[in-house]
Amino acid sequence: MSAEDASHPVRLVVRDDRRRGRLTVLFRLILAIPHLVWLALFGLAAFTLAFVMWLAVLYERRAPRSLHAFLASFTRYTVHLTAYLCLAADPYPSFTGSKPYPVDVEIDPPAIQGRWGAGFRLVLAVPAFVVSSTLGGSVAVGSAYGGAVFGSLGGLTATIGLLGWFASLARGRMPRGMRDAAVFAIGYGAQTTAYALMLTDRYPDSTPGRSEPPPELPAHPVALAVDDDLRRPRLLVLFRFPLVVPHILWLTLWFVLVLLATLLAWLVALVSGRVPRFLHRFMAAFVRAVTHLDAFFYLVGRRFPGFVGREGGYPIDLTIAPPERQRRLGVLVRVVLGLPALLLATTFSSIALVVGVLCWCTALATGRVPGGLRDLGAVSLRYQAQAAAYALLLTSRYPDSSPALQAPPPVPEPALLELTGLA
Amino acid sequence: MKALRLVVYALLVAGWLALAWLLWGSVVPDGLALPHVDVDTVFGKALVERAARYERFLLVLWALGTAVTLATLAIYARYGDRFTEESAAGPLGTGMLLGMLGLAILWLTQLPFTVVGLWWSRRHDVSHLGYFDAVFGDWVALGATFVSVCVALLVVMGLARRLGSWWWIPGAAVFTAVAALGVFVAPYLYTGLDRPDDPGLVARYERLERAEGLHGIPLRIESVSERTSQANAFAFGLGPSRRVVLWDTLLDGRFSPAEVDVVLAHELGHHSGDHIAKAIGWFALFALPGALVLMLATRRRGGMGDPRAVPLALLVAAAWALVTTPAQNLVSRRAEAEADWKALQTTHDPQAARGLFREFAVTSLGDPSPPTWAYVLLDTHPTLAQRVAMADAWAARQGR
Repeated sequence: MSAEDASHPVRLVVRDDRRRGRLTVLFRLILAIPHLVWLALFGLAAFTLAFVMWLAVLYERRAPRSLHAFLASFTRYTVHLTAYLCLAADPYPSFTGSKPYPVDVEIDPPAIQGRWGAGFRLVLAVPAFVVSSTLGGSVAVGSAYGGAVFGSLGGLTATIGLLGWFASLARGRMPRGMRDAAVFAIGYGAQTTAYALMLTDRYPDSTPGRSEPPPELPAHPVALAVDDDLRRPRLLVLFRFPLVVPHILWLTLWFVLVLLATLLAWLVALVSGRVPRFLHRFMAAFVRAVTHLDAFFYLVGRRFPGFVGREGGYPIDLTIAPPERQRRLGVLVRVVLGLPALLLATTFSSIALVVGVLCWCTALATGRVPGGLRDLGAVSLRYQAQAAAYALLLTSRYPDSSPALQAPPPVPEPALLELTGLA
Repeated sequence: MKALRLVVYALLVAGWLALAWLLWGSVVPDGLALPHVDVDTVFGKALVERAARYERFLLVLWALGTAVTLATLAIYARYGDRFTEESAAGPLGTGMLLGMLGLAILWLTQLPFTVVGLWWSRRHDVSHLGYFDAVFGDWVALGATFVSVCVALLVVMGLARRLGSWWWIPGAAVFTAVAALGVFVAPYLYTGLDRPDDPGLVARYERLERAEGLHGIPLRIESVSERTSQANAFAFGLGPSRRVVLWDTLLDGRFSPAEVDVVLAHELGHHSGDHIAKAIGWFALFALPGALVLMLATRRRGGMGDPRAVPLALLVAAAWALVTTPAQNLVSRRAEAEADWKALQTTHDPQAARGLFREFAVTSLGDPSPPTWAYVLLDTHPTLAQRVAMADAWAARQGR
């Protein structure tokens, strides 16, 4: 956990072992009905009291402890329930939000808040609501809009919930990458809820991978490296769309050839169990070129990208491992196997679009993009690239939806004295 | 090497002059004297004054817009190469980026003139286009322009990196080929054209077509009445893609069938006179020296193979276009005059032609007799007074 994350008043803590009871998974939505009814009532009380809290903060610049505790419980409850619904956690949650849960948040006690920020809190929170809706990380956000509670669980968590339901039923475990992605969305949703409910004046942090413990990032044949700053020249921001039109035309033509190449590669791989090197290079360059273009278009990258997808040619770069031996059965049914990944990639593309729009507005005003949003965009692009590489037979490794951009630092070896209990 | 260069230049000049002489020919009788036309009498004093006032404002706007264009491009030529740092696309891609950015900046600086011009046209009921559509409806067109610039820069820079300072000769040839291709495919890409639903109109069109020695050129109607009240028509395409297009504003009852026939015969005259093929020939004749000027002007910036030369190239291209506009307009007016003459020869109806040109002044608020400088710099057609005079001259030659 970084120092910056440690200082955020709303911190995500994960103690989930990914094991899931098949029976409760099967009936998860039905089991959650009492909670959804309770959420509506709890939410009504919470948002009513949030108004009182708002007045109190405007007047005293600090939240009353009792109100803060109540709304913090509500926020924690929404975290527990969201995690339960999207299978990021297994135990049936309590109705109070006060008991520990495998996916939980720690919320700091009340602190001094600025009056201006408090006064315009709902307006300021709009971008966070937009991101949170796309991530679908909190059942509370829908209530904050005044909309239906049931409709608020959507976006990334809904897709993960759907895919995770099948995976958990089949294997009795939630896939690590999907669980971590859902946990990230839930963490952001909790920070948004806490911000909207005046629990803190710290803006939600969209930097992926900020949880305790940090999510894993296993080595993958398709990896993304970010080596870029956050500055964005306004002129290039303003004309982002027309500037990419030549790339779009070029990549559309290229895509036609890639489809033919994929068909050929599929036939060859079915026979030999390996994609020919020249086809692999051709299609890998295409996936890289699309990633470079997307990075530029969504303002994840600063510089105008090249047209040929050269490795090392862009600050948001994709490395794709050389062709490997693949199982013929996996090649044969690749289209079917790839469907869940493509569904999740579609969700990640929506996230990238939201990131792009928000970054566009921010960069036009300030000449910079927020680091958290940039990293979230990069994670989205990486998943899309991995899904494309899988579909195009560039790798047999399934895409990994881990929200981390970098692998967590290795845990230091405990000193001998600590091991022996003599320290 | 110097001798070779001289020989090449001499051959090019000779070829240029020979092609220009060939393209300059016209069926309009040599030495045709146009009678004087009193515009106040023909068009009405009030209309002439109103049209002159309308056009005067647009001329001032054009002059200001042109000055701003040149100033903007001059500043961009001076500082634009800084944007090379914003590209990871290699020399060609960086050149494209600089070209597109130059156009984008230009678009921004021209936006106020677009809006003011639209306000003026709306005020005079000439245009019905909304401001939002005028500003944001053009994003797709802007994207298409960006693509055109990218293709042009790809050709120029690619050739310059391979051929050095000789790129301009094949460059002009490639541009001409691309222009010809564009002219050929344009009718297939042009959307929003409908078949005419008036059998009488189709029958008259086919009769005029036969009279001009043509066959099988489709007539299409473009619906523009929601955007403008101006009347217009045009001919485009090459060979099998040839088309004649009438705006629906010509068919809304303000023009008589005989006047519409003059328009149809005029547009068919463009096809029978091979004006579109000739226009491509003229394009080649202007492109060749234009490319040479571009090569010479950008040498000190490393030549067109270097992306840092692109901002300067944009300025040179704009200046070249402005300088050669009078000559290009002269060529265009000659073709239009020939089409008018062919229309008169086909319809034998100078009265309808006079009526048509009078109505054009009303619907488009075109000044029948604009200032000379505006005529030279901007008019691609003869003035309405000249067109009426040609109808009179034709009638006089026929003894009518």
